[in-house]
Amino acid sequence: MKRLSVCLVVLGGLAHGLAAQGDVRARLVGRVSPEVVQLVSTLADSARRLGLPDAPLVDKALEGAAKGAAPDRIAAAVQTVFGQLNVAATAIRSTGTSAGAQEIEAGAFALGAGLTSDDVAAIARTADGTHPTMAVLQVGGALAAMGVPRGQTVGLVQSAVRSGLPLGDLTNLPAQVQAAAAGGVPPAAAAAGLERAAEARAAPNPHANSKAKTNPHRP
Amino acid sequence: MKREWNPLVKQVLDGERGIESLPPDLRLEAEDARRLLLDAIERQAVSLSDSVDARVMARVRRRAATPWSRAWHWLSAPTVPRWVVMVPIAAAAVLLMLMRTSTPPATVEQRTALTGQRDSVYVRFELYAPRASRVTVAGTFNRWDPTATPLVRLGSDGMWTVTLALPSGQHQYGFIVDGRNWVTDPAAPAVDDGFGRRNSVVSVNPINGRIL
Repeated sequence: MKRLSVCLVVLGGLAHGLAAQGDVRARLVGRVSPEVVQLVSTLADSARRLGLPDAPLVDKALEGAAKGAAPDRIAAAVQTVFGQLNVAATAIRSTGTSAGAQEIEAGAFALGAGLTSDDVAAIARTADGTHPTMAVLQVGGALAAMGVPRGQTVGLVQSAVRSGLPLGDLTNLPAQVQAAAAGGVPPAAAAAGLERAAEARAAPNPHANSKAKTNPHRP
Repeated sequence: MKREWNPLVKQVLDGERGIESLPPDLRLEAEDARRLLLDAIERQAVSLSDSVDARVMARVRRRAATPWSRAWHWLSAPTVPRWVVMVPIAAAAVLLMLMRTSTPPATVEQRTALTGQRDSVYVRFELYAPRASRVTVAGTFNRWDPTATPLVRLGSDGMWTVTLALPSGQHQYGFIVDGRNWVTDPAAPAVDDGFGRRNSVVSVNPINGRIL
């Protein structure tokens, strides 16, 4: 049955590709101009070939239409998103980490929030067994979107992960920055305070160590 | 009927020795063998009449394989046995593709229902807009449909709110006041939207459901 199975696999692949292409068109037709539909379909095909998610491309086109943007502006915005997805995927993969759709979208968001590809790679590199890549990238992107400077954003995520901060507390960092900002503290200052706290948590407690070493009454 | 000749007789038939060299009891056998051989050599070819040939060919043509049956035979002819295991896998893949193709695009309501069973978190959106007569929220979670998700006014203090189940990931959104004014959420971080405005951002964590 060799030839039959090969044919079925090929047909299955074609059906999958056509279904995905048709899905993109179905989501766009009637909402954006035919030229934009064509452009997004083409970019979505390229995205799938590169292992990138295509949903953000469709979302950006729909967003532009909802906001009444001109077709050429929508096209430019969709191409920008495609570029961010591609750069984010490359940056994440450069760390040896597998980049799924959510990781790539989180990386692309971080780029859109003002981080660079090196920043995205540095943040992705901090991920470990308890701090998933997607979570650290989301935190980095959210901090950058709040106005925390690039270097501080990377430094805060690195310090927090290195200090063994639980995942729930890590993902709460942007909310802490936001709460501080609501109280009048600039995002950079709030982030600096959180980074110092994380570094202090990571450092060994010299007082406890010296007591243990120098206690002469201990049998 | 098959008859086994003595090896010495075979040597005679092959011309390797003369019949005189055989023992007397084998000479008779050798004569029989030689006679059978000469009969076979001198046998006349059987000739068939043209009508028999035509009838046979007509029947062969009637039974000839159609292009479809030849194609099916080409496809289904057994080849390397290890590939046989691929057939159910390929069939399952095609079935999955067909199921996927036949599923209509999900509406906002369906997506919300599905996300209620996956990694999702209920997120409450609020906007203070005392002079607004209508407020909606549009974002990546409802395909940026400005009319799909209206907010409800709470009393008369100007606060509008809606609660949505959002799947894990980062979502960008904006409020639309009175159907035309896009407003960012003052309580959320925002990023450039590429159209000269800014989008608010909400992040839903799949691990512990926290919202950034």
